[in-house]
Amino acid sequence: MLRKLLFLTAALVAAAGLVFWLLTMPRPLDESVLAGTEPGDPVRGERMYFAGGCASCHASPEAEGVEGELGGGLVLTTDFGAFVAPNISPHPQDGIGDWSEMDFANAMLRGISPEGNHYYPAYPYTSYARMEVQDVRDIFAYLKSLPPVEGRADSHKIAFPFTLRRGIGLWKRLYLSAEPVVTFPEGTPENVLRGRYLVEGPGHCGECHTPRNFIGGLKLGQWLEGGPAAEGEGRVPGITPDEDGIGFWSEGDIAYFLESGFTPDFDSVGGAMVAVQKNMARLPAEDRESIAAYLKAIGQ
Amino acid sequence: MKRLLITLSVVLLSCAAASAQEDPVAVRKALMQANAASAGAASAMMRGEMDYNPAVALAALATFRAVSLSVGSFFPEGSDSGETRASPRIWEDMAGFQQEIADFQADAAAAREAAGREGPADLAAFQSMVEPVLAHCNSCHETYRTEN
Repeated sequence: MLRKLLFLTAALVAAAGLVFWLLTMPRPLDESVLAGTEPGDPVRGERMYFAGGCASCHASPEAEGVEGELGGGLVLTTDFGAFVAPNISPHPQDGIGDWSEMDFANAMLRGISPEGNHYYPAYPYTSYARMEVQDVRDIFAYLKSLPPVEGRADSHKIAFPFTLRRGIGLWKRLYLSAEPVVTFPEGTPENVLRGRYLVEGPGHCGECHTPRNFIGGLKLGQWLEGGPAAEGEGRVPGITPDEDGIGFWSEGDIAYFLESGFTPDFDSVGGAMVAVQKNMARLPAEDRESIAAYLKAIGQ
Repeated sequence: MKRLLITLSVVLLSCAAASAQEDPVAVRKALMQANAASAGAASAMMRGEMDYNPAVALAALATFRAVSLSVGSFFPEGSDSGETRASPRIWEDMAGFQQEIADFQADAAAAREAAGREGPADLAAFQSMVEPVLAHCNSCHETYRTEN
């Protein structure tokens, strides 16, 4: 009897392990996703690079002022531990110089490393997952045109149980989706849809401006309503078009803020948003106008 | 009469000084609001919402200069609580904070001097003078102000 029970327990544990293993398995893209897109164009890629704010995290902190040196090293200190942005310069050993386009697409759209491991979602691939494959290829081409930087950034300092990366597979089942957050009716103006793409995809605005639950998933029901900062003190302001957000800002005010860093009251941008705004200032005016149009259109 | 006026202004000035000591947060906020109003006027001209006027440009540049010289004095130890978004980093790194202010002072002084007695001759001249000054807003707020 006891033997039978032991056997049964062992079988159950093994079955549970198998289910966990299957559920958490990284699910890379199909090789065919590149078909039907053009080879990456670094000129278009530069625009996406600024829309995506890659440098805000991946620029070498000591290389301040030197544009385009993406040696990594910035530390994001959160409740889950300290995440260190890696080197994404085209250095063959220390950066992403040896990556294939599929490696890069899997990193951006599925949060999977070339070795097939899950990345921590401090890297905002849950937003990047909404990007077009073409734009991803273009960013890759642009990154390849930047100077290689030697040296690897430190490794993350994470506490158990978050050290078990495999578990991120479950988390991805809950939170990784290429579907847009906000659905608009047929006939919605093109610039609003373009703004949705920029905000929800490359711009990854929701990663800071939307509150998170206790396992770090975005509360999509409170999209862009603001919440406690993931890092340290303070709150991230809401940017919805109502009195809790930026309801009194016009579309022109939003676009001008992204261009100049001044609010309608001529308060200036501050904190982590400074780096974001500087990237937004590098976009063509039509992109800032699209973002503004989207931010005024949500929840209407 | 003259003596009365002098006495009165001395009294008023010392009142101002006293309230500055009691409530440095209110004073530095008022100084920042003066900067904001000047930035608003500068921006309105640069965006073409208001015709260029050298006197307005000069008022903005003179304000930036005056604020740059004074605002650093209103962050004493212990003024990090209450209705303020001043970041604790100011008092953790007072030397770095004062350096930011010194940089702001240098650019504000250069702009004010370039503007001369009459103010910058045209919008392009004003723009080239004021932009380096405005860049100090976010460079200081990036590190030394909290967002909420």
